[in-house]
Amino acid sequence: MTALITFDHATLGYGRRVVLSDITFDIPAGDFLGLVGPNGAGKTTILRAILGSLVPLQGTVATAPDVRFGYVPQRDSVDYGFPLKVLDVVMMGRYDRIGLMRRPSHSDRVLAADALDHVGIGHLADQQLNALSGGQKQRVLIARALVGEPNVLVLDEPTNGMDLVSTTQILGLVRELHERDNLTVLMVSHALNEVANYVSRIALVVERGFRIGAVADIMNEETLTQMYGIPVDVDEMHGHRIVVARRTAPEGMPVVKSGGGNA
Amino acid sequence: MLSTVLLFREALYGALVIALACSVLGVYVVLRRIVFVGAAIAQLSSAGIALALFLAGTGVIGSFAGHTTTFALAFALAGAMFFGLGGGQRAGVPPDATIGVGYAVAAAAGILLISKAASGEAHDIFLSGNILGITRADTLVLLAVTIPVLVVHALFYKEFLFVSFDRETARTLGYRVTFWNLFLYFTLGLVIAFAMQFAGVLLVFDFLVLPAVTGLLLARSMRAIFTVSVGSALLAAVIGFSISVPFDLPSGPAIIAVSGALAALAWAVRWMQHRG
Repeated sequence: MTALITFDHATLGYGRRVVLSDITFDIPAGDFLGLVGPNGAGKTTILRAILGSLVPLQGTVATAPDVRFGYVPQRDSVDYGFPLKVLDVVMMGRYDRIGLMRRPSHSDRVLAADALDHVGIGHLADQQLNALSGGQKQRVLIARALVGEPNVLVLDEPTNGMDLVSTTQILGLVRELHERDNLTVLMVSHALNEVANYVSRIALVVERGFRIGAVADIMNEETLTQMYGIPVDVDEMHGHRIVVARRTAPEGMPVVKSGGGNA
Repeated sequence: MLSTVLLFREALYGALVIALACSVLGVYVVLRRIVFVGAAIAQLSSAGIALALFLAGTGVIGSFAGHTTTFALAFALAGAMFFGLGGGQRAGVPPDATIGVGYAVAAAAGILLISKAASGEAHDIFLSGNILGITRADTLVLLAVTIPVLVVHALFYKEFLFVSFDRETARTLGYRVTFWNLFLYFTLGLVIAFAMQFAGVLLVFDFLVLPAVTGLLLARSMRAIFTVSVGSALLAAVIGFSISVPFDLPSGPAIIAVSGALAALAWAVRWMQHRG
């Protein structure tokens, strides 16, 4: 399959500070990749390199010429103090296509309304953005990414701070967009348990290094224990993999492995 | 009373131009939470005027009259660019602390320089503003700055809005965020530098903040917030000016008092809407 993004022995960092060394992988068309790791491990650094806002210190990060990103930022990076209607926010996803010194046209408005319908909140088009719930705001940001007609959807911590219901709905929506629209999806998250059950591949970024592979290759006790540097159990319940960090027992007490659920 | 006000109509026209320019830019100042950047730039601009007066007194530059604008502009734009680039953030200083440093140092420098300027006593007016002294020529100068700035803001509304609302996404769509940010700050510095010379730090700060706050309290869209902001600034200028002249009150504080009253009224309306 054609690689849309290729990291070739790329070393990433800021100034003299190296964050990740010598990483090589590619993201093929149609991939659904979860970029997972704890805060501060380098997920955002990889994301910036992919989006072209960070030049690698060594090696290369190449993007295919036909790639068009649809970017969904972290919800909190948007300023909700602006009195903007949902439709106006979605329209921003077309600003670069509209061009300088030109106003959005009727067709831009129609496309924005369609994008809202696509993510299931067409009825909220005239609402104020800051009046929406966290899950609805996230859908607005996804609609804004989609209205630019991307072929790669990039989501940065899309479920951060969300409750269980909203998290499930948003991840379900992203998966649906991947399958229905054949979108290549890159989802950045610190929540391994959430992401692992939706994506096809995982790129794990931790202080001890970087590893990428199919979900089954990453979501096993050996790999995760090695990568995180603490004992980890991987159980399976109703087809969902669940990662649990093993509790450190008090001195003198045996360490009890968590019980596995039914597959 | 009306005839007394009409005697100073040229000054009123100038005040209206300042109110218009500041209230449009003030929407970004308030929404981006950079209100004290406006105050610091105004104070830097006044320090520039003080330096021009001081140098004129020492004979380094011949006549201050032709140089106050240049100095005010240079200081305001340098400050605007500095704050637009994030101030001392890269050195680990929080942005609000940098703004505070800029404000305090500029204010002190202005007072020190004026105290040692040969014509200092007579020209304190440059620092505190003198709305009533605005002439037709001054108004034309203000218009020559205001009209291009407003045209720029109308033409590049999308860009200024996008980089203010969500700079990360704007960057991924290919926007040169730093450029647009600096451009916005440049227009802010330009307007403040010229407005400062007639209105003084306090009134410029008022026009940058209070009308936009009134707009934010009453409006539910960007278009409405701009409309209410401009409308309330012009109204405050007319009412404040009309009260100050016949009652022999200082015009700047009178305008600010009316701005405050309008903001309080807007807050009351908002409060009643929420209760209803």
